[in-house]
Amino acid sequence: MTRKPILAFEDLNVWFGVRPDNPGFHVVKGVNIALKPGERFGLVGESGSGKTTTIMAAMGLLPSSAEVSGRVLLEGRDILRDGEKSVAPHRWKDIAMVFQGAMSAFNPVKTVGWQIAEALDVHNVARGVAAERRVGELLELVGITAAQSARFPHEFSGGMRQRAMIAMALACEPKVLLADEPTTALDVMVQDQVLKLLVRLSQELNLALILVTHDLAIVAQNCHRAAVMLGGEIVEQGSVSDLYHRPQHDYTRKLFEATPDVFAVARKPETAKATSAAPPLLQVGHLKVSYPRPRSLREVLRREKPQAPLVVNDISLTVDRGEMVALVGQSGSGKTTAMQAVLGMVKSQGGTITLNGRDVTGLGMREWRPLRRQIQMIYQDPYESLDLRYRVRDTVAEPLRIHRIAATALEREALVVEALERVGLTPAARYLGRFPHELSGGQRQRVAIAASIVLKPELLLADEPVSMLDVSVRAGVLHLLDELRRDARMGILMITHDLSTAANYADRIAVMHQGRIVEQGPAHQVIHAPEADYTKALLASIPDPDPDPDRRAAGDAVSSRRQPSTALPDHVSESLRHKQW
Amino acid sequence: MSTTTVNQAPDSESPYGFRPTLRGVLQQKTALAGLLIVAFFVTIALISPWIEPYSISEASCGVFEAPSRAHWLGCDDGGVDMLSLVLRGGRISMIVGAVATLIAIGIGATIGVLSGYFGGWVDTLLMRITDYFLVVPQVVLMIAIAAVWGPSLSHVIIVIGALMWTGTARLIRAQVKSLRERVYVKRVEALGAGHAHIIFNHIIPQIGPLLVANTVLAITVAIFNETALAFLGLSDPTAVTWGTIMEHAFDRAAVSSGAWWAIVPAGLSVAFLIMGCYMLGRSIEDALNPRLKVSYLSTHFWRLRPLVGRGPDAL
Amino acid sequence: MRGAGYVWKRVAFAIATVYVALTLNFILFRVLPGSPVSQISRVPNASPEMKKILTQQFGLDRPLWEQYLLYLREALHGNFGISYTNRQPVLDNLVQAFANTIPMVAAGTILAIMLGLTVGVVSAVRRGSATDHLSTNIAVLFYAFPTQFMGMMLLIGFAGVLPSAGMSDPFALDATAWEALLDRLKHMILPVTALMLTLYAENALIVRSAILETLGEDHILTARAKGVPRHRIIRHYALRNAMLPIVTMVAMSLGAIVTGSILIEVIFSWPGIGRALYTAVLKRDYPMLQGGFLFITIVVITFNLIADLLYYKLDPRITT
Repeated sequence: MTRKPILAFEDLNVWFGVRPDNPGFHVVKGVNIALKPGERFGLVGESGSGKTTTIMAAMGLLPSSAEVSGRVLLEGRDILRDGEKSVAPHRWKDIAMVFQGAMSAFNPVKTVGWQIAEALDVHNVARGVAAERRVGELLELVGITAAQSARFPHEFSGGMRQRAMIAMALACEPKVLLADEPTTALDVMVQDQVLKLLVRLSQELNLALILVTHDLAIVAQNCHRAAVMLGGEIVEQGSVSDLYHRPQHDYTRKLFEATPDVFAVARKPETAKATSAAPPLLQVGHLKVSYPRPRSLREVLRREKPQAPLVVNDISLTVDRGEMVALVGQSGSGKTTAMQAVLGMVKSQGGTITLNGRDVTGLGMREWRPLRRQIQMIYQDPYESLDLRYRVRDTVAEPLRIHRIAATALEREALVVEALERVGLTPAARYLGRFPHELSGGQRQRVAIAASIVLKPELLLADEPVSMLDVSVRAGVLHLLDELRRDARMGILMITHDLSTAANYADRIAVMHQGRIVEQGPAHQVIHAPEADYTKALLASIPDPDPDPDRRAAGDAVSSRRQPSTALPDHVSESLRHKQW
Repeated sequence: MSTTTVNQAPDSESPYGFRPTLRGVLQQKTALAGLLIVAFFVTIALISPWIEPYSISEASCGVFEAPSRAHWLGCDDGGVDMLSLVLRGGRISMIVGAVATLIAIGIGATIGVLSGYFGGWVDTLLMRITDYFLVVPQVVLMIAIAAVWGPSLSHVIIVIGALMWTGTARLIRAQVKSLRERVYVKRVEALGAGHAHIIFNHIIPQIGPLLVANTVLAITVAIFNETALAFLGLSDPTAVTWGTIMEHAFDRAAVSSGAWWAIVPAGLSVAFLIMGCYMLGRSIEDALNPRLKVSYLSTHFWRLRPLVGRGPDAL
Repeated sequence: MRGAGYVWKRVAFAIATVYVALTLNFILFRVLPGSPVSQISRVPNASPEMKKILTQQFGLDRPLWEQYLLYLREALHGNFGISYTNRQPVLDNLVQAFANTIPMVAAGTILAIMLGLTVGVVSAVRRGSATDHLSTNIAVLFYAFPTQFMGMMLLIGFAGVLPSAGMSDPFALDATAWEALLDRLKHMILPVTALMLTLYAENALIVRSAILETLGEDHILTARAKGVPRHRIIRHYALRNAMLPIVTMVAMSLGAIVTGSILIEVIFSWPGIGRALYTAVLKRDYPMLQGGFLFITIVVITFNLIADLLYYKLDPRITT
């Protein structure tokens, strides 16, 4: 392995917004990476760590406000030497790129084939019939039939589009492929396929690959070496095995700890329920829901009911007080629709929903309103779930005002403060006056949770509560939910696409596929003794953060090391110590 | 028009963090210039009776007398001082523009909010109606209506207002529809809030700035239509507006007698007022449009940092 | 075929709109209090026999719904009555006027679209440059000029240099076909210029912002990474995608084109349909007014339909 590097970053620095009167932001700080032909390199970091900017610099695709120093060597020659002029000739011919959102990375009004042929055309690789043949070959290389080249991007599924993107990237036989979060928007099983494809191509074509991702497990399974970026700097670099087994930097260790391992199921089912006499908090029986949409004009005129295929087809589950149930499934499996039905936001087509022994199926909006105090929802995207014009105080107080709880402003404020402290935003006074844009993602999610629990609900519905958050703050939010379950005895129904999260926090797991629950049981059992084929396939497609998973068979020592730490972030546990709920 | 640098920073602030502020909008040169122009014309309209040098109903000089020291802008066909007429003419033009716009925005915003918020059959019905109004050539319909009812200022206002709302309705509908899908609206709905609470607390404040921009832009169209109708003789012939001033001049052959001063002052006043409104409205709208913040095809490229003279941070 | 349903839907909508316009026309001119046709006595210079014929023709002695059916039947046969002023069938007058309008408005509109596209594209892709500032500010200025003002300024500025009224020289009696054409073209210069200048500005501003919006789309970045040359990106990515909002906006500004041409025909005494409408208002020639309103509405609906179909052709994502 003494080959010369094909691509090397030497002391690369990038600043944004530098003006004579403004030093700007230093977003990439002295990055050094050397990549050998055929090597797969992972660049790991959270949003804002500068990882995308780093690879964009290698393509010369930085915005005009960027200032760059250092060198990017392609086969020993500095391609940044003369700015745009010296990078441009290497784009796509030597260095190609796969972008994050394959949905918008294609021109929507041209066929996929046209867009691949264009790459061949502008680089004088092939034209006419030869180009057509080559496009077919490229598509077949990534598992798409040549005939599909006449299709438009919107006619492809997400996974197909990303594979077509890879085919386009390979059009001019580049030496280096840069992949920027190539699988972020994809389902686990599709993600697995796309990653396997990338690895296979890199091996077959001796292609050097930089995989930019926030997911350590993806890197562990698909790369030789990796670098961890934090605040624009590479804090640690080495073989994936070294990073995993002998992390040097605290941040690396923290990242691995925050990446849950699906097989390290946290909790055994708790001891027999003491309150088995009372009806369960939530009982869903044979629920059927079709895709929610308002009635069309024609249906109103003809007095028809909207006809739509069932998205949720006959599911049954229960959630008890102090219990967390995870509903796991891929996008389109109907899990969100099911939750909307439980919340009373969507009419069901059949089945029953019982809340605290009361049948709430088919209640109108007006009858639902008082019941909303008992059942609250936490949403996926903390950036989107808060009104940007509302201060934290107003957001958390809004439910109180809607339900006319608390007679005076003073009382209301006290409840707001109580809720904020409960979710770990202490001292609450510091957060009350802030706007959402003055908070971090994790803090926003905590504010959203505070706005839900200020009504003291009994049942919390959580729709992918951490999937939009950075890896390192996920654990904190999940711990918070766990505490609410344990201390406040709330029942929690959590939707997630991530079996690992479910395995680590839920008492029971229900796996949903195409509108049905294919498997349901205690977390431990679903993970370790799955019965449904679908569950097995899902488990097999989850990347393992351990680069050498065979080792685990020898002894469980490794995975036990990475059980989610029970220690909470300081400010959270601090707030809990003198808190009675 | 904006001079801010086009910036795309892949790893920087989240796009949701953006909130346009009044101060931010006014820091743009275009917006400020627009605001000043509009303020200038409004002030003139308010104080015109006190600053007019001559009466606007009596002749004070000869027919189509050219501009002179006594009559800066010359005189019209009846020997009335043009400066006085133009100063006064803005009043009615602006009132007509403003009232008609308020009617239009009121109708448009209501239809847009209802349509976008409730969706389904409400949306289909309202948008079908909007589509009809959209294809009917409005000025022609205005001509027909004004011709049937007879020329009058209030007819002009009602006709312009009742026909001009379609664009607003579509714009607001699109905006509300996307707000309706926002998670925070869903969240508040799940909290048990009623439709009225959501619309008044979360929807309308959000579309407020856009509505302001749209109102300012709609005023330009209303004033345009007022002058067009006045020019075709469908406005109140006795009222002094910029539209009727131009109409009179054209009617009395100011063009063939070369009396440009009977046309230019009113014409330029309309042009500058509309320009001011347009610059102001467009700047607000642009500031609200997140899609204008990013450009991947700039004429400028990133630079290499010079190796010397940058202080210790450079290396 | 992709989205045949869409095409039919748009055609059906266009037909329905024509029907609504017909009905609106009926209500406006017959049903509303003070509507003109019900006051036959207002007809200038009409003898009692003439009034009787008119009463029969419009079916004014029958119930309203029968009048409505009669009106629809006549309208479908292209019968909009007789002009009060020249005693010719309204339709003949309108067709004649429309034939005069078309060359002038088409030339002005096409030039305006071409100029608008060029200026808009250039300022968008050189956003923030001096070129952009200059051309955008000029466009705003022209946008702000009322059409009639622009027309009169051209008249004053070019009086004597170019013909300023009508569409041919009434004294050139024995002109050859070539001379007649040349004469016609000369007469067209001023009105076409006036129309172009008032319309181009709005187009340029629309095109500029539509392109600026597409420049932030991810596929532009992909194209740059792919090494696609700048001019190609502008054409196949930016402009091609911007065409969708542009078509919609230009279709929405059809009304402005109509307004502009009416004003310009009046100012330059162009014997087109706009001027016919204007004369009808002045002379209280209600059949002409009614017919003209309907005629222009149908023309606008037709062009709207064309814009819809064009949009469909441009956007492969439309399926229903």
